[in-house]
Amino acid sequence: MPIEFKRNRAVFHDVVGVEEAEGLLEWLQSKPAAKIDLAPCRHLHTANLQVLMASSPAVSAWPENPELRAWLEAALKPRS
Amino acid sequence: MNPLLDQFLSESREFSQGIAAKLMQLEDAPSDQGVINELFRLVHTLKGNSGLFSFPDLTRVLHAGEDLLGLVRNGQIVYSSPLADRLLEAIDLVMAMCAEIEATEQIGGSWAQEAVRMAESLRELMPAVEAEAKTPVRTAALSAPVELPPLAEIPEAARLEALRQCHDGETVHWVCYAPAPDCFFQGDDPLYSARQTPRLLWGSATSSQSLPSLAELDTYRCLLEFHLLSTASREELDEHFRYVPDQVRITQVNPLWLADPEAALMDSEAVNAVAAESAPQTGAAKSAQSVEEQVAALDAILTAQLEILRLEDHPNWFAGRLKAVATVLRNVTRAAGDRGTASELEAVLAECLATGQGSLLLLWLEASREQLIAGHAAQLAAAPGPGATPSQGTEEADATSQPGVAKPPADEGIKFGRRAEDVPGAQRSIKVDQAKIDRLMNLIGELVVSKNALPYLAQRAETQFGVRELSREIKGEYSTINRIADEMQDAIMQVRMMAVSFVFQRFPRLVRDISRKLGKEVQLVLEGEQTEADKNIIESLADPLIHIVRNSLDHGLETPEIRRARGKPETGTLTIRAAQEGDRVLIGITDDGKGIDPAIIKRKAYQKGLIDEAALERIDDREAVNLIFAAGLSTAEVVSDLSGRGVGMDVVRSAVEKLNGAVTVESRLGKGTTIRISLPLSMAVTQVMIIESDGQLFGVPMDNVVETVRVPRRSLHHIKQSMTAVLRGRTVPLKALNSLLGIPASPKLNSDDEFAVLLVQAGGEVVGLLVDGFKETAGLIQKPFGGILSGLSAFSGSALMGDGSVLMILNIREIV
Repeated sequence: MPIEFKRNRAVFHDVVGVEEAEGLLEWLQSKPAAKIDLAPCRHLHTANLQVLMASSPAVSAWPENPELRAWLEAALKPRS
Repeated sequence: MNPLLDQFLSESREFSQGIAAKLMQLEDAPSDQGVINELFRLVHTLKGNSGLFSFPDLTRVLHAGEDLLGLVRNGQIVYSSPLADRLLEAIDLVMAMCAEIEATEQIGGSWAQEAVRMAESLRELMPAVEAEAKTPVRTAALSAPVELPPLAEIPEAARLEALRQCHDGETVHWVCYAPAPDCFFQGDDPLYSARQTPRLLWGSATSSQSLPSLAELDTYRCLLEFHLLSTASREELDEHFRYVPDQVRITQVNPLWLADPEAALMDSEAVNAVAAESAPQTGAAKSAQSVEEQVAALDAILTAQLEILRLEDHPNWFAGRLKAVATVLRNVTRAAGDRGTASELEAVLAECLATGQGSLLLLWLEASREQLIAGHAAQLAAAPGPGATPSQGTEEADATSQPGVAKPPADEGIKFGRRAEDVPGAQRSIKVDQAKIDRLMNLIGELVVSKNALPYLAQRAETQFGVRELSREIKGEYSTINRIADEMQDAIMQVRMMAVSFVFQRFPRLVRDISRKLGKEVQLVLEGEQTEADKNIIESLADPLIHIVRNSLDHGLETPEIRRARGKPETGTLTIRAAQEGDRVLIGITDDGKGIDPAIIKRKAYQKGLIDEAALERIDDREAVNLIFAAGLSTAEVVSDLSGRGVGMDVVRSAVEKLNGAVTVESRLGKGTTIRISLPLSMAVTQVMIIESDGQLFGVPMDNVVETVRVPRRSLHHIKQSMTAVLRGRTVPLKALNSLLGIPASPKLNSDDEFAVLLVQAGGEVVGLLVDGFKETAGLIQKPFGGILSGLSAFSGSALMGDGSVLMILNIREIV
């Protein structure tokens, strides 16, 4: 599974495709306090990014890939 | 080049010409619905074909053309000559792109913008409602005001980096990529495209509008927008976003926008240098402009500055904008040579920067605008020519400070100025009527024949007239002509050659469909698709091959269950193999199915009266299996819609034999079947063996000849009326050619009391023909009989010999 849903934490693995977006949305709706672990993620499809941006969940770990991390931090970190 | 692409290109060329012709036709009869329909069909087909390849630019232009013609067809737009002009230009563009594809097998990124512009210009001709419904993004972009990229959102580090790149002479581009909402369904991943942008400096994903709450969010609608900063060239970016050119806006970033005085890094001298550096080129080109034009340009520049100053304020980059305007104005005043105004400007500027208010500069500009223009005009009038260049700096500043206005005004129309004829070497292949090639081939055939008369002439010169010298010269000339004629013949054969892939390419689909229907699993293997043969042969090969493949799938290969039970892999293999061997093409169709049971074939053939009881005993398994080619034999228990009506294999045989080919089958029960077809490479030249009988010469096609033997008279056996001889352990029936042709003479014997026997194959049987003597074999161009003679079934045609005599070619199958 590209997204591993744990009790209160979703771990993004490797490349997360467009088909995961719907499941992710449902899961986030049911767990508003959930945390997101992006560390093992190398790429995620735009649809997933959009879901994350709409829900702005707490991110427990940013991607190890620095370039993806820059993208996601810019998009997901609350604007100061 | 891939054959499909090759075909597409040659078709496109044809279609483009057809479209142009139809457009011309419409000029004369604008309301001819038939022509409009035909035109629409052509464009539609061309668009559909282009979709097979990844040439989005080509498809885009054609798609717009199709939409436009659709409206014309439905009477929503009236055909007009501007419309025709636009369409003709579009077709020229298409042809130019095709030429590029032909040369490089791809379309360069530079075409993307032109294609978009052309598509837009076509859509402009559509009624407004239509255009808006179809291209919301594009119309929005068209009507959008001059837009400065929101550079404020760029983080400090990235902006400084970009500025540094600018100073290093790089051009920085700002890309705003707003993917279409339904882009996910087209397989796009905009984030991925954004991340892959060449030489990306910085990028961010934002949402153009605020995202809806989770409950209302549609995961499959893309609402995001991407802002990117890249040092790649415009071409590279166009290339990268070539599939979505209508969704990106690319703006060249003026270094001034990046330089923010608050960052304390701004080196105004450097920035000025950047501006001045690029100025001379534009200036040089402009120097010939008339005074009026320059004044008008200056007016436009000043108006633009006023507009910039009137733009709403944004504290972060207000100062930068002010600086930009100031630089332009400084250049203008310098150009006008007006020292007084220049110092005035500096004073106002300093005050503006100090207070952070642009209004002062605005007021000053409004007030001194007339004066500036007047002063400039006066200077131009005083010193025309080289002195008139100073406006260069201002021109440059104007161009860069107004991003997003690269689009020409709509009413100006787009003149691509390229006729399709301009493209050199656009057409590398020509379509020729086959009759013309046939005629050429006939002429070459005659040349070959008359060339063959030269050795006879040389001989006569020597023996009859005793001129050896002349004879040798004639022979020398002959060898030259011989070589050229051979090459010509070879060349014309090449023209007619086609690869068997022409026939083979339909098999993957055929096999897939049939095996689906039959519930069998089949893997098709095609080999030797590049093997070439004469066009006639290839074309007539299609039907027999389809028959054979169907038979193999239907009768040969078993269902997966049976195969598993027999210990074979569930997926059967069907191999179609083509190869060239000498002057023949061999095609083998092999399946690893259940094979043919010779016992069943023999019984069936006997039941249907195809063979008699004696033959039932006599023939071996190999011969029995070949009985499947006999008319009226079908082994399938059930008649299906695919095969089994007993018309399959004998049709194959007669079709192949018509081409002077042969077909045989080999089968191992339980292991599989191989059907082999052997065909001549070309039907133009027939190899014949020349024989003599009762003083006349006859030709026998080499395909029929098995061997030539001399049989002593005493070895002949007479059984009632017929003669036989035992040759190589087989009993062969013998027939005298003279009696078959109704010539009242008996075969001659040679000095050793032997008959000359030509063993020929006729319909699977070997028969010996008693003739008087054997001559040489020759490659001849056989001509079928015409008129009254066409009723002569004993001969298949005639050929002209080198000495001018006519040789009759025997039709062995008919006479034996």
